[in-house]
Amino acid sequence: MEQAAPALERLLQPAPLEPLGHPDAGLEAAVGEEAEGAQDEEGPGDRTMTENNFWLKKIEISVSEAEKRTGRNAMNMQETYTAYLVETRSVEHNDGPSVLTDSLWRRYSEFELLRNYLLVYYPHIVVPPLPEKRAEFIWHKLSADNMDPDFVERRRIGLENFLLRVASHPILCRDRIFYLFLTQEGNWKEIVNETGFQLKADSRLKALNATFRVKNPDKRFTELKHYSDELQSVISHLLRVRARVADRLYGVYKVHGNYGRVFSEWSAIEKEMGDGLQSAGHHMDVYASSIDDILEDEEHYADQLKEYLFYAEALRAVCRKHELMQYDLEMAAQDLASKKQQCEELSTGTVRTFSLKGMTTKLFGQETPEQREARIKVLEEQISEGEQQLKSKNLEGREFVKNAWADIERFKEQKNRDLKEALISYAVMQISMCKKGIQVWTNAKECFSKM
Amino acid sequence: MSGGLPKALPSTGPHSLRDMPHPLAGSSSEEAVGGDSTPSPDLLMARSFGDKDLILPNGGTPAGTSSPASSSSLLNRLQLDDDIDGETRDLFVTVDDPKKHVCTMETYITYRITTKSTRVEFDLPEYSVRRRYQDFDWLRNKLEESQPTHLIPPLPEKFVVKGVVDRFSEEFVETRRKALDKFLKRITDHPVLSFNEHFNVFLTAKDLNAYKKQGMALLTRVGESVKHVAGGYKLRSRPLEFAAIGEYLDTFALKLGTIDRIAQRIIKEEIEYLVELREYGPVYSTWSALEGELAEPLEGVSACIGNCSTALEELTDDMTEDFLPVLREYILYSDSMKSVLKKRDQVQAEYEAKLEAVALRKEDRPKVPADVEKCQDRMECFNADLKADMERWQNNKRQDFRQLLMGMADKNIQYYEKCLMAWESIIPLLQEKQEAK
Repeated sequence: MEQAAPALERLLQPAPLEPLGHPDAGLEAAVGEEAEGAQDEEGPGDRTMTENNFWLKKIEISVSEAEKRTGRNAMNMQETYTAYLVETRSVEHNDGPSVLTDSLWRRYSEFELLRNYLLVYYPHIVVPPLPEKRAEFIWHKLSADNMDPDFVERRRIGLENFLLRVASHPILCRDRIFYLFLTQEGNWKEIVNETGFQLKADSRLKALNATFRVKNPDKRFTELKHYSDELQSVISHLLRVRARVADRLYGVYKVHGNYGRVFSEWSAIEKEMGDGLQSAGHHMDVYASSIDDILEDEEHYADQLKEYLFYAEALRAVCRKHELMQYDLEMAAQDLASKKQQCEELSTGTVRTFSLKGMTTKLFGQETPEQREARIKVLEEQISEGEQQLKSKNLEGREFVKNAWADIERFKEQKNRDLKEALISYAVMQISMCKKGIQVWTNAKECFSKM
Repeated sequence: MSGGLPKALPSTGPHSLRDMPHPLAGSSSEEAVGGDSTPSPDLLMARSFGDKDLILPNGGTPAGTSSPASSSSLLNRLQLDDDIDGETRDLFVTVDDPKKHVCTMETYITYRITTKSTRVEFDLPEYSVRRRYQDFDWLRNKLEESQPTHLIPPLPEKFVVKGVVDRFSEEFVETRRKALDKFLKRITDHPVLSFNEHFNVFLTAKDLNAYKKQGMALLTRVGESVKHVAGGYKLRSRPLEFAAIGEYLDTFALKLGTIDRIAQRIIKEEIEYLVELREYGPVYSTWSALEGELAEPLEGVSACIGNCSTALEELTDDMTEDFLPVLREYILYSDSMKSVLKKRDQVQAEYEAKLEAVALRKEDRPKVPADVEKCQDRMECFNADLKADMERWQNNKRQDFRQLLMGMADKNIQYYEKCLMAWESIIPLLQEKQEAK
């Protein structure tokens, strides 16, 4: 641990509070650091590293166990929850043995905290999603109980997947809070909260407002938002119907089990037919019980789809951030324009736009030249400030679009790869199911032929 | 046959009479009669209408069981009787060519009955008549009356149970045709029933209705006498073998009933599964429209699921049309057999009662009166006929169920094979790398 920790510490930069700066500078710094001792796998701006990421070469992360715990919650009420063992191993050399460097217990709410933190500090990143909080899209044999061992097991896998995704992300993997999540059990929650990230989070209302009122968002983001809405809708539908399909398939297989019993009873009164019937009945029992494993495998496919269902939400979050920034920019530009106009009117004496000052002046008499001068001066200051702000907002906005789009491209590639793999493994599952079916019925047919 | 809207009936059957080689063509009748002890494969093929395969002498599975036609014909196949083994077949009957008749009063279906025979009981070597269901019903009643000591095969159900089923749909008519064909073939195979007068008339008469009206002019002696057996005699003790048969039939009917219920339940579950599949597949299509690189793979999965759905529909249709009716037939069969057993009991009871009455009269006549002797005769004939029929029935039952269950296994294998092919063919599509990006 002693040897590994300083190396890791050095490689990680503290979480940048304003992640939008010169993007390439940040990356280059990281590249510079990692160049020492590690292979230079990326150039500046190269976002396509995943499995080749230096993190995964040095680090293995796993969520290896789940344990039921009881404790007291914030309201001092006793509660039962599940804790998950997060283990980190470092690999000294490429093919060398891995050494356990860190091992601590985390519960689901801490994972949530980590993710919420990442969402706030990396709004331009499509942040990997967590496995579902509650069991959804279930069919009758699956339990809706969060404590159910099958659910806990699937969640364990989902949490491990989440950590691996973060660790393989070129930017997220360098985050200090993430590093501490893996290495520091006690006090971690306090550290996260001390960053004050909750305060920096954009309010829902603000975001909603921006979505409705923004005039000129980048078209790509508008399209992307539309896509993520559709994706969410279609995957939800798919998962719902798949659950029903699983339910029905279960019924079909299980009813065949009844043949086993009745063939056995029938064989008792038969002479020559008896043996054939009896053994065929056994195969019917085998058939009926085979569905349990088959459907358990299919749940993994459903989980893969669910991950991308939740990813759609993360995509939408990035689009929303863009809309918010763009709206902010538009408002600032509008404000600046109106101030400039005011200034001009005051200087030239013409009133073209309505202003409260103008009205009160009309009502209560003209102001003195000194007063006017003072107002002009204030406005000029404000205008100058406003121009500065607009410039930096513009820059921020462009940086955001650039960085976000880069991550979105990376995400798209990942999504296509992952979903293709998921479809292939689904097809393989179906093939295996068909082969089992052929086997069982061929065996049964042979038994019948001996009747 | 896959499901769908009821189709119009074909105007001609699958085989034209001209196409079928006469089983005894190419050789004189004497040669055929005294010829090979087992009919040649060609004869077997021609005899069983619609069959495309053979039942091999060792009882193995016919070749080419994977084709749907042969699967369903498997279920219709009747094995050669053990009794007839070694003899030459001289009577061939087939039911085909259903036609719809629309009259002012009613609409009904007739079937063509084709008979080919060298028996002296038949004036012509070939007959072709048209009969409707009620004619079959009449025939069965007549057989029951005139041959009460024998087991008469069952007919398919008279009335359609659910109002939903269309009695003129192609599926329903075909199911019924197969059952009627089987009915006649079972009679044809029976060494006694096949010589029955009514059966002969049924096969040959141009105007069956006129004959029906003539009444029971041709009853046999046995039939008449059994008809007069009064009920109400109490049976002393049933011979063990008939008691065993009765118990067997009770349990047998019970088990078949259970199997029927299970099969129906499976079909119901499969149909519900199919409904969900039909919604499931298209969602992948909808998703495909959103995507770029994933569009083809997703569309492929959608098509694949569609193919599996079609295969499943074929499976459920086949099971409904071919499996369930045969099960039900056997339940009806065992019911009618039970009533024959009861009649046998009555004949025995009557004999025992008469015997006892004679004994009570305390007459010293050592000779048994004639009418008691007649009763004894009757009873012993009945017992003998019934025993023989039971053995025949057991054999046929074994063959029928062997084929029925193998057919069921076959259909399921075919279903999985179709699905397997669909999914295997899509793997290369899913693994394909897109060149243009």
